[in-house]
Amino acid sequence: MFLRTDSKTILPRRDFFGTTLGGLSGIALAQLLNRDGLLASDSKTPIRPVIDPANPNRARAAHFEPKAKQVLMIFCAGACSQIDTFDYKPDLIAHHDQPMPGADKLITFQGGQGTLQKSPWEFRPRGQSGKMISDLVGQIGEMADDMCFIHSLTGKTNTHGPGENFMNTGFTLDGFPSVGAWTTYALGSENDNLPAYVAIADPRGNPQSSGNCWNPGFLPAAFQGTDFNASAPVRNLARPDRWNEASDRRTREFLAKINQHHMEKFAGDSELAARISSYDLAARMQLSVPEVSDLSTESSEVLKMYGADQSGSATLETKANYARNCILARRLIEQGVRFVQLFNGAYQVGGEGTSNWDGHKVLKDQYAIHGEIFDGPTAALLKDMKRRGLLEHTLVVWCTEFGRMPTFQAGAKGRDHNPAGFTAWMAGAGVKAPFSYGSTDAFGYKAIENVTTVYDFHATILHLLGLDHERLTYYHNGIERRLTDVHGHVLREVIAS
Amino acid sequence: MTVALRCLDSLASTRSRTASQMLNALAIAAILLFPSCGLAQAENNATVESSTQQPQVPNAVKHKVDFAKDVQPILDSHCSSCHGASKQTSDLRLDLRAAVLKGSGSGPVIRVGDSVHSRLIEVVAGIDPDYRMPPEGPKLSDEEIGVLRAWIDQGALGPDDSAELDRKAPWSFQPVARPPSPHGAAAIDNWLTLKLNERGLAFSQPANRSTQIRRLYLIALGVPPTPEETREFLSDSSSDAYERLVDRVMADVRYGERMARHWFDVVRFAESNGFETNRVRYNAWPYRDYVIRSFNNDLPYDQFIAQQIAGDALGTDVATGYLVAGTYDIVKSPDINLTLMQRQDELSDLINTTGTAFLGLTLGCARCHDHKFDPVTQKDFYALQAVFAGVNFGERPLPAEPSEQSQQQLAQLQSEIESNKQRIAALLSQAKTIAANETKENSERLRPPVNSKLNIEEFESIKAVAVRFNITASGNSQPCIDEWEVFNASGENVAAADRGSKPSASSALPGYSIHRIEHINDGKPGNDHSWISNETNGGFVRIDFAQPEMISRMQWGRDRAERFRDRVASVYSIEALLEDGTWRELASSKNRRPQGDDIEWMISQLPSVERAEFKRVSDKQKQLEKELQQLTKGQSAWLGTFSKPEPIHRLYRGDPLMKREEVAPAMVDSLHGPQLASDLPEQQRRVALVSWLTERNNPLTSRVMVNRLWHYTFGTGIVDTPSDFGGNGTLPTHPELLDWLADEFMASGWSIKHVQRLMLLSQAFQQSSQPSQAGLAVDSDSRFLWRFPPRRLEAEPIRDSMLVVTGAIDWQMGGPGFFLQRVEQDNVYRYFPKETFGPAEMRRMVYLTRVRGEQDPVFGSFDCPSGNQVIPKRSRSNTPLQALNLFNSSFIQQQADLLAERLRRDAGESAQQQVERTFELLFARQPDQFELDASTQMIQDEGLQAFCRAMLNTTEFLFVF
Repeated sequence: MFLRTDSKTILPRRDFFGTTLGGLSGIALAQLLNRDGLLASDSKTPIRPVIDPANPNRARAAHFEPKAKQVLMIFCAGACSQIDTFDYKPDLIAHHDQPMPGADKLITFQGGQGTLQKSPWEFRPRGQSGKMISDLVGQIGEMADDMCFIHSLTGKTNTHGPGENFMNTGFTLDGFPSVGAWTTYALGSENDNLPAYVAIADPRGNPQSSGNCWNPGFLPAAFQGTDFNASAPVRNLARPDRWNEASDRRTREFLAKINQHHMEKFAGDSELAARISSYDLAARMQLSVPEVSDLSTESSEVLKMYGADQSGSATLETKANYARNCILARRLIEQGVRFVQLFNGAYQVGGEGTSNWDGHKVLKDQYAIHGEIFDGPTAALLKDMKRRGLLEHTLVVWCTEFGRMPTFQAGAKGRDHNPAGFTAWMAGAGVKAPFSYGSTDAFGYKAIENVTTVYDFHATILHLLGLDHERLTYYHNGIERRLTDVHGHVLREVIAS
Repeated sequence: MTVALRCLDSLASTRSRTASQMLNALAIAAILLFPSCGLAQAENNATVESSTQQPQVPNAVKHKVDFAKDVQPILDSHCSSCHGASKQTSDLRLDLRAAVLKGSGSGPVIRVGDSVHSRLIEVVAGIDPDYRMPPEGPKLSDEEIGVLRAWIDQGALGPDDSAELDRKAPWSFQPVARPPSPHGAAAIDNWLTLKLNERGLAFSQPANRSTQIRRLYLIALGVPPTPEETREFLSDSSSDAYERLVDRVMADVRYGERMARHWFDVVRFAESNGFETNRVRYNAWPYRDYVIRSFNNDLPYDQFIAQQIAGDALGTDVATGYLVAGTYDIVKSPDINLTLMQRQDELSDLINTTGTAFLGLTLGCARCHDHKFDPVTQKDFYALQAVFAGVNFGERPLPAEPSEQSQQQLAQLQSEIESNKQRIAALLSQAKTIAANETKENSERLRPPVNSKLNIEEFESIKAVAVRFNITASGNSQPCIDEWEVFNASGENVAAADRGSKPSASSALPGYSIHRIEHINDGKPGNDHSWISNETNGGFVRIDFAQPEMISRMQWGRDRAERFRDRVASVYSIEALLEDGTWRELASSKNRRPQGDDIEWMISQLPSVERAEFKRVSDKQKQLEKELQQLTKGQSAWLGTFSKPEPIHRLYRGDPLMKREEVAPAMVDSLHGPQLASDLPEQQRRVALVSWLTERNNPLTSRVMVNRLWHYTFGTGIVDTPSDFGGNGTLPTHPELLDWLADEFMASGWSIKHVQRLMLLSQAFQQSSQPSQAGLAVDSDSRFLWRFPPRRLEAEPIRDSMLVVTGAIDWQMGGPGFFLQRVEQDNVYRYFPKETFGPAEMRRMVYLTRVRGEQDPVFGSFDCPSGNQVIPKRSRSNTPLQALNLFNSSFIQQQADLLAERLRRDAGESAQQQVERTFELLFARQPDQFELDASTQMIQDEGLQAFCRAMLNTTEFLFVF
């Protein structure tokens, strides 16, 4: 007898959530749940944004009151080691050069393990909070009091392409919409004259998953990230040299005249109207994008602060270019661009780990270069955004495709891939700071406390934007697709109350 | 109360419990013990019987739990074999939230907000020792029970999946039923009119003829008609003019190119591997050409399916490019988890693509669990995986298709090869004789054969400024010399680098720092400091002395360390450059004994005329053999390889590390799919799949394809989700029409052209696209076709049309594709968009080598799929970036110039004639007065190029009306 027939002892379901919602305890419970925002998850009908075809990125309302209006996502390509940056492990220092228990049978991406290795960089307490952060990212560390660390992220793959896909699109496979595409699909943009979503690639080139990181996937092309940076302007934005400004304008006017005349026969046809208005938007963009990209108006103090004035070596040239990208990111955020993705590190070229954070063999030498390029400009960006008040409505997130091992690889002086536990951080609008959430084990290998998924991370980003990650959907090929697939919990602990 | 005390005792005696856990346990004990419900009663009895072991209910976990993420997996793994989608013991299902809430045939199993009094918790915790669940297999862990408790206590929240409780077969699983109907295209108009009338609407008037021909061309061929074709049609006053035009268009080879591009979206065909390495598949194009050919030849659709899935069994190998058209991660690792996951992703993608492309069934959804909307179980998914389990990514030789021409070619080749062979044999025998005599006669004169370690050359003392070592044979690979020393009378090496001698060579093997030319005189012998030429059996190396030197001896070798014996120069001559600028031979291999049966050495003994002939004939022979090989074996192409399938297991939540029972190959059970033997050979599994897919009583195959044709023809399918005919797809607007078309399709012998021809001949297709107030008010999307719905063209027909109107188009069909990116091939391939375009880039877009994820910077923004996921239906965005690309890109400036040139050529210098020609070319019509005035004014003010730039941007040019 499995099922109890004594129904008197157990209230029927409808007394709680039936059509009548009767019974005091049911109501009380419902109120309790509602207060915690839990009931919201009981109604998961999709909320489809209403897209105006004439201006697909016109600003749209969030699902609920957002804490952040814009997002700056900083992505370190190549898998930036948590061990050498933000995940401080005294036990790792204590057990330096000793075998990691259980690692003898552990096969990671490139094979077997050597011994545990402390970071070549010292960790020191930073800010009022005394958060331990390494010298590799010491300048970023100065912002520790504004940062919220998630030390217990876990990934689903240990190869770069799928890993970068996963962090940027929520799927390891190629071809799914990026976080930025989902965001602009949901919210449009505050500024009609600029692209709603900009992807700023590293001066050394695209990240390893290249356009997958900002592609719209199966969402309409309107929600694609526009990729340009301080060294490479928006493609086809500029009027070709052969046309002078007046001629260019008159050509556009003639085009509009012919299109309008033709449109008269198709009154009420929104797709045609949309096509015509796309030229108006383009014309406005032609004025605004060069303006926002023109860094010559920045003061020398600002250029110096970011490191954009540095030169003298290949590393410093790259640093200066990355610094200019950082300034561009700030300017785009200032202008209301909804989603800005800033990349540090490019595809693999010139050998493993040379142009990105993939430090398998000679981590110390390579990270010394990457740290030099990344730390100062990124720190300046955070500080600059803070002093300009941009952090009040902008969510800044920093992430990478996965972490690295606390051991060196067998026979090498670098760390192999490790999706079992790695760090990301958030700062700015809606984020609890200073705060650290979750943790890895004693050596920084595996997430053990408040284990967090990339889905949770994405759900939290959307939540801060006022979006319910379970209701932001797009029908594709049989499924109401979501950024978070069928997973994800909002990390309420990292949200400022 | 004795029970309570005993219970408390047992709890208290357990050490290392925190205070809060104690309190919790006390609370539970209290609930268990106060007989406020039947549960406690049962507990009481049980406890009395087993006096010492009081079961405890594990604590609820503290964190928030989610049904899908946390609860469902537990129920799936412990309960669903008896209480799942396929079997419901005691009328209880536990695989859906709604089912858990509903309870069993005899009542609820959970009490929301009160887990400890929930029957589900009682039985999994074993409160009643006589009634514990699951009856077999591992018990639930404390953690798992804690999760279930937390879920119940937190309100049993989760998705509303109640619709799935009564999941029925969707409409599309019903057999195709042909309704009584008029014949031919009239059937289409009949069903459409019925629905229109219900809405108080009717067809619009017929479109004018120039609109009709332009529409027909753009939709069926993807390019506009030429002005001549338009004029011919406009002046054809016969009653069947349109019908004959349709027939001409359907016979045009550009039809196959247009349709193939649609198909590639459906099967996500692209020509690179994807992921971060994203290497180009340079030989994937034969499949592309196969698809084009198939549409042009109107290959019956059932055969089209069969060949793509099992072409290797049907003599159409090229078609199996389908199986490996998707992404493939070549980044491999010793980490077995990664390898398994990659393989699982490959096969899942193939199953999903096969399901969506041919059946309109999103089979991929059943990888982790039974399908949420359709009667497809997880077992079905893995049974199909067993069908495809022997398919691997890679190339295989493409057998040439025998044709009369190739047969003739073959015979001719073979006879040429034979006569060549005879001549070679004769020359060889002559050489052998000479060589034998030479060896015999001069056995004392001849020097020892060359060896790999060290060879000495001695000669009369001579003053030289440089020496040169010419190699003509070296064992059929690139020759290697590790060190070459040249001595003067006092035994000093005058060729040494440290005496200022400079080496140079005809070539050096690229990419090897150990085989550079500088190594030849660096004083370090051995393979690691050697020179290798980049020419098979050839090359020379030269050393220039710092000043003229008297020399009389030299030595050289391949590897003085004696590790390598290959690449030895067996036929060579060494010369000196004298001060007067002439070369003199110092030594050669001619007076050396051969190394064994060295053919090259023997040949070197031939008189020079014969020697030259031998080289000519043997080179010719090599080329002929290569041609023969191509003709008989064909090239390798990206068509996949096949291996014996591994046993396939159902995977818990789709995770390759969580294998469950083995699954034999089979087709979808709810669609009467057959079950196959688990040891059926690989190829036969795919053959079985094909016969099931193409059975006439399969309700989906024909419906799905005719709906695609409708979608391509009218812009929106009768079913608006062309690859999803399941419960989450949309319902057909015209179910009878869909069935009529599906049946007509099969009755015609699966003729795609027959069905599409009917659509193109329908009144619906020929009507005007201009909107009416009434139509827009009732049916703004024109789904019911009160007008022909105008729409923006896709990226490919836009670019193709531009090339056609400017005259730049290169109509070359087939063969390797062109690139719109410059490719840098490293370990990872990188792509840089081209900014200038030559004749190679003027082919139709279907011949573009489409690189996954790398969009063409001009046309990619027109919702061009990236080739990663299947795209049965493209979005139609209109964005500012598109406008910028079409207005400012270098491609458009070039096309505007070409159009301007063409207009001058075609229409002379009269602005009016230029305008008229432009409208003819772009819109298949004449300008009205307003357009003519505005346009001629524009040309006068801004010039012809500026006018052309604008015209290539017009709405009318980019849309089909």
